[in-house]
Amino acid sequence: MRRLVTAFAAVTALISGAAVLKLKLVVQDKADQVQALADKIHDDQEAIRVLDAEWAYLTTPRALENQSAKFLALMPPRASQVLTNPDVIPFRPRSAGEVEDPGVLLPSRETKKDKPSSAQSGLQATSQEAGVRKPQTNQKGQAL
Amino acid sequence: MSVAYSYHSPVLEGERKTALEIARGRLTVAVLLFLLGFAIMAARTIELGISTTAEKQVATRTIEVPPVKVARADIVDRNGEILATNLETSSLYANPSEIKNPKLAAAKLVSVLPDLSLADVEEKLSSGRKFVWLKRKLTPREKWQVNALGIPAFAFQDEEERVYPHGRLAAHALGFVDVDGKGLAGVEHFFNDRLDDPDRTTEPVKLSIDVRVQYALADELEAAKNAYQAVGAAGLVMDVNTGEVLAMVSLPDYDPNNVTGVSADERFNRVSQGVYELGSTMKTFTFAAALDDGVVTMNDGYDASKPLHVARFTIHDDHPRNRFLSVPEIFVYSSNIGTAQMALDLGTERQQAFLSKVGLLQPSTLELSEVGAPIYPAQWHKISTMTISYGHGIAVSPVQLATGISAMVNGGRLMPATLIHTSGLHHGGRQVISPATSRKIRQLLRLTVMKGTGGRANAIGYRVGGKTGTAEKAENGGYARHSLISSFVGAYPMDDPRYVVFALLDEPHGTKETFGYKTGGWVAAPVVKNVILRTAPLLGIAPRKEDEGLYQKTSLLIHDYKHHR
Repeated sequence: MRRLVTAFAAVTALISGAAVLKLKLVVQDKADQVQALADKIHDDQEAIRVLDAEWAYLTTPRALENQSAKFLALMPPRASQVLTNPDVIPFRPRSAGEVEDPGVLLPSRETKKDKPSSAQSGLQATSQEAGVRKPQTNQKGQAL
Repeated sequence: MSVAYSYHSPVLEGERKTALEIARGRLTVAVLLFLLGFAIMAARTIELGISTTAEKQVATRTIEVPPVKVARADIVDRNGEILATNLETSSLYANPSEIKNPKLAAAKLVSVLPDLSLADVEEKLSSGRKFVWLKRKLTPREKWQVNALGIPAFAFQDEEERVYPHGRLAAHALGFVDVDGKGLAGVEHFFNDRLDDPDRTTEPVKLSIDVRVQYALADELEAAKNAYQAVGAAGLVMDVNTGEVLAMVSLPDYDPNNVTGVSADERFNRVSQGVYELGSTMKTFTFAAALDDGVVTMNDGYDASKPLHVARFTIHDDHPRNRFLSVPEIFVYSSNIGTAQMALDLGTERQQAFLSKVGLLQPSTLELSEVGAPIYPAQWHKISTMTISYGHGIAVSPVQLATGISAMVNGGRLMPATLIHTSGLHHGGRQVISPATSRKIRQLLRLTVMKGTGGRANAIGYRVGGKTGTAEKAENGGYARHSLISSFVGAYPMDDPRYVVFALLDEPHGTKETFGYKTGGWVAAPVVKNVILRTAPLLGIAPRKEDEGLYQKTSLLIHDYKHHR
């Protein structure tokens, strides 16, 4: 009986010793992982700083304006196009087919399409009305 | 004792037995105690393992992320957009004593860094010294390429570089830094200690600038400057209720990322440092002073039928009417003759006190080192009073003017100009004119745009009010007849003013489009109009049909406005 207890104690001690050692190794491994993760977070934070700066560089208003002119070619909105009350948005007239000149595209894009002169003069009128273009454009509009 | 021993031998057996029993009993107690101790520890361990919440277990383990260290705090705009930031870069150095074949190493290096001179690098590498700088501040790509060469004698030193992602935009507000990251101009210089403070490098400095507004103003001014071949241009947008500067443009400008070879003219901040005789825009202050002191009312008027002769000077009108003008007419048609007479009625002392009160006689409090002091006569004679009333003989910076105009339209509170974002609460400020006078000034400014000299600033829907200003440049003690400073100061929306927009062109030339005119109403007013059209939607100001009733009464005092041009 006594010998059995001794053997049991010895085996238990061995197993627990091995378990503690294993635990220690696992903890060390985890600690290394945590440290690596912390370093990665640090590196990512630095990378984010660089990306933030790059984002600011790429979205600087001049770049956005160039991209907008290239891909959208939209005109700046006129005061009359801004509604303060969403309830007053008019429905599209049913009879009207496709609107020839919705008055939202930049003149350069519009003239490229080689539209009949009526569309052009209409557009000039809108840009004059909006007063958003430079004086030269206005003058050209008057000449037309 | 020995006798007893031998004598009591049978008893000894029993004694030994009891002693053994006692020892065993004691041992058992000790074992039990130890067992109890271990049992308690085991129970406590299990209890700790079960009862402690997972959050608490994790929280006790602190994970130290090495903080990102920067030598200088970022600068951001009012929306958090980065205007200036410090990025890590590497500088390349070499240990030439470790290089066996300097010619080959130099050739290899120049092949990846083509902006280095081959002869220069070769000389450095064959010098036999222990340390030479080859190139400061490489881009990550360049660093990678140099590493790919695989030459062990090349090494890198980590450094920081100040980067301005928006380039020229807001250059004059931001300023720039030297190689060691010390601020040399603009906000970088003014707040150098704050930006450098090691405890606060992670909190950015938030400016009142809005990059979108800044760009709109810069773009329009640039276009006008080119169209009218002006030597320079300046403009700013200011919040009338807080004094915050949303945009500040001075042309020509520079790129703060690379300031080598930038001329003094490009560095000169025309908005805060430059002082100009601004002409008729100053009439606003004469009218405000006279109306506020009750010297005149809107129903009064002055005779402007002929030029005014004072001492050896003659005061003319640029837009002559040659008749008696009502007070609103004098303002709307920008009559120098009428304004000068009004200033005489106001008196020199009251005029001086008023201009001082609205901050036109002291340098602006803007947070820049480049702030110019106003120029005005030391001896304020009667003629000075008259000319200053319409903006000649006094030179102020655009930021001073905008601050003053803000106070004229916002209900009379003077808010000091600032480049730092404020929380939006309007506190502080000094009452300089009564709200009633401010209301009258708003009517006058709006009518100037509706019926007078400022017609080309009328951004439909945004209720713009403003005043033109045209002054001949002072040169060699006299005035240069054909070099003008043309400006326009506008405020909108006039029923509840939010922003002041100012534009100035230095020596513009008339074009065919302006029929040769180069005055403020022709060249500067359209800039203000375009800036308002572009930025009002961004700033949350909705276009609206205006309440004509606001101006009806004053409008009746203005006649024959149809033929004013």
